[in-house]
Amino acid sequence: MAAWVKGGATDAGTAIEAAVSLLAKARAPVIAGLSADVAAIRAAYDLAGRIGASIDTAGAVGTYAELGSLSRVGAMTSTPAEAVGRADAVLVVGAATWHTPLIKRLAESKPTRGRAAGSDRALLALGAGPEGSQAALSCPATGGLAEAVAELRAYAKGHLAGDTPQAKLVARIAAAQYGVLLYDPAELGELGVEMLQGFAMELNETTRCFTLSVAGPDQDRAVVPVAAWLTGQGPRSGFGRRVPEHDPWRFDVARQVAAGEVDAVVWLAALPVDRPNWLAAVPSVALVAEAEASLADVVIAVGRPGRDLGGVLWNEQRAALTYWPASAPTDLPSAASVLGALTERLVEAGAVSRSEPAC
Amino acid sequence: MLSVIRGGRVVDPTASRDAVGDVWIEDGRIVEPAGRAPDRVIDASGCVVMAGGVEVHSHIAGGNVITSRLLLPDLYVSEASPEGHPFAHAGGAAGWIGSTYARMGYTTAVEPAMPPTHALATQLELADIPLLDRGALTVMGNDDQLLQLLRERQGGNAVRDLVALSVATSRGLGVKCINAGGASAFKDGALRLSLDDEIPVYGLSTRQIMGSLLDAVEEIGVPHPLHVHCNNLGLPGADDSFIETLEAAEGRRIHFAHAQFYAYGATEGGGFRSAAERIAQAIADNPNATLDIGQVVFGQTVTVSLDILRQFAGRKGAKPKKWVLNAGDAEGGGVVPFLYRPRGPTSSLQWAIGLEIMLLSTDPERTILTTDHPNGGPFTQYPRIIHWLMDKAERDREIATLPGIVAERSSLPTLEREYSLSEIAQLTRSGPAKLLGLADRGHLRPGACADVAVYRDTSDRTAMFTAAKLVLKDGVPIVEDGEVVEWRAGRTLSLSVESDPAMAKRADAYLTDRFGEGLDSFAVPDAAFDADTDTFEAVPCRA
Repeated sequence: MAAWVKGGATDAGTAIEAAVSLLAKARAPVIAGLSADVAAIRAAYDLAGRIGASIDTAGAVGTYAELGSLSRVGAMTSTPAEAVGRADAVLVVGAATWHTPLIKRLAESKPTRGRAAGSDRALLALGAGPEGSQAALSCPATGGLAEAVAELRAYAKGHLAGDTPQAKLVARIAAAQYGVLLYDPAELGELGVEMLQGFAMELNETTRCFTLSVAGPDQDRAVVPVAAWLTGQGPRSGFGRRVPEHDPWRFDVARQVAAGEVDAVVWLAALPVDRPNWLAAVPSVALVAEAEASLADVVIAVGRPGRDLGGVLWNEQRAALTYWPASAPTDLPSAASVLGALTERLVEAGAVSRSEPAC
Repeated sequence: MLSVIRGGRVVDPTASRDAVGDVWIEDGRIVEPAGRAPDRVIDASGCVVMAGGVEVHSHIAGGNVITSRLLLPDLYVSEASPEGHPFAHAGGAAGWIGSTYARMGYTTAVEPAMPPTHALATQLELADIPLLDRGALTVMGNDDQLLQLLRERQGGNAVRDLVALSVATSRGLGVKCINAGGASAFKDGALRLSLDDEIPVYGLSTRQIMGSLLDAVEEIGVPHPLHVHCNNLGLPGADDSFIETLEAAEGRRIHFAHAQFYAYGATEGGGFRSAAERIAQAIADNPNATLDIGQVVFGQTVTVSLDILRQFAGRKGAKPKKWVLNAGDAEGGGVVPFLYRPRGPTSSLQWAIGLEIMLLSTDPERTILTTDHPNGGPFTQYPRIIHWLMDKAERDREIATLPGIVAERSSLPTLEREYSLSEIAQLTRSGPAKLLGLADRGHLRPGACADVAVYRDTSDRTAMFTAAKLVLKDGVPIVEDGEVVEWRAGRTLSLSVESDPAMAKRADAYLTDRFGEGLDSFAVPDAAFDADTDTFEAVPCRA
């Protein structure tokens, strides 16, 4: 096992003891990233629950745009396979999703199931800029993407009228037998997602139309269900008072670090994601597949799920959790096993549940 | 280790047993009195001893349950966790589900709606429910692959092979159909579907789809009969749908989910009155049929269902006003918050109808207690419901607080019956265990799993059944004096079913075309679960 403490190569046992020592002293630890397989995510929650850490994820910007909107207005959603199989019109919101494999599948096929089977599929663009050149109809979003969605909704409701690109776009999506509104929540933002969901819900008074959001490069779509079943709540939660507390502002790790509230971080990235720039600012333990000695105070190389070892990951094409066997097995440890060892050692050391229970 | 539970009132209707006596346990099983000194004596004097409770229909895992937690983060209250499990008191979480059931003396619970497209996530979630044995029913009846087979009249063998493959791949315990064809019809613009209505595009009906699944379940030898969620749930006149569906079963085994939601006879003016008597009589006349109740209890809850046709129709009654509808692969799912208004006329009548069906039942073993958690209310209300069933005076006290509609449109106030402990055991133990085909559960005869609940015998049945004095799982004490004392993992019960290689090949090609990935991506492999525990336990098919 490749491991480093303060930049110096060492063995696994020494690295784990160094990590235990760092975490045992911490009064406000955070486990962040969680770009990992389900077993590691579960292990991260178990550790957080036992030592009173809080949790934040690598894809929190997009995840929060989704979860915030979901808990306020709900959602009307579809899946990639349903969009490919059934949609006769797809409104692509923003520029980010034009680069996804799903757009290619949508562009290269026609609906094959349901009442739109056999008809052509129209790709429509809202605020795509130069990315959306293959769109049959397009409309700019010069005043902002969320505002552009709000305008479409106003046209659909009859609050705005006129022979405008927006009106044409709305007429086309409302005439679809199975419309899909495709978006990237990190790009659209929380208010934009909420507006888009309202638009979809209203379109369903007369036809069928569903939203579909694309995932980021992280594993947040795996974290969200695991967090919900383990703690009853979505991520960004803290366990310092022995009760899961869900608070997207308070447990934002970047904010916590900037405010000086954090005294230790475990960075979990068994699948690569961008390294946050705050990582160097706090005592840190990194469990990563692409290990570098200088990444953190303690660095432990772990196997990458789906490559070095098997694991359950978010599968964007299937929009489901699926098992990925090892494509090139190695003897690197799983992130789950390292987290399990840390938990065991910390429990032995008595570094658990240091805060008083909330009343 | 040889143990004896001594001196309790042992209630096991399967052995006509209701008397003070002993229950002997060795190696995780109930055994005959051993004729030698036990290693451990558990004093149960003043207590009632029953088999562990068995749940057949409670939404405890899966995509809809996840969504409900995210839609309503404040539905449950979380409390500080006890030692031994960091999230056991996290309201609505897996640990809370396991420990709350266990404290009530339940030892097995089945999630009734596992879509094959999301089987792995559902099974992973179930595996994180501690203390209980779990299982899930594989949902079919709206998926294009099945509907194509039926449209092309490929015959019963093809349907049987696809059902067997789906159960085997998802590692289900049985098969369920939910408003068969309804989700598909919704996606194609329909807003209502009855038994013989044509499902757009496919030219099929619910009757045809359900009939093919009834046959497939029998041919495969699935111990649990087809678990059916009928058309028109919750609508006035839904009793007609229930009866027509029962007749369409033509004598084949069939289980009706949450029957209370169908016991609504239409009245002039669009309202409903209790059809409990009609439903109870139909079940009495048809020994091939069973039902679970879906009892309503008052208060805030959230409805979760793969019946997206119904959930879409119900969206305008959402309280609070937010809802999720996922027109997903096959069934998809719908999550609509709902308030059963305390003392409200509609919810009061619904409450009365559920109790009525149970009190009119001629065979409690075919009448299973559920709230269709969380659809009629949370499963945590079982003790209160049992109290109402066992105690006419307690029932009358509740009725006295409710509006007159309860007496006008149901017969509940006139029913004198009080359930005995044996009948409660039929409703919550032997009935559901037989229904699931779990021969070694739901009773205390030699050979049974040593899943045992010991309750203090008190007239406050709510208190009695809320916190058991002692619960054994496989002979090991997991609850003492209403608190969890041993956090252990149960197993997931999964049907052992052979699948046909030719159908596997066909399905692989179909799935690859539709999802871009084949059968492997739908698998639930052992490698996805903790290596140091045996997550799954095989349940054989019927001979």
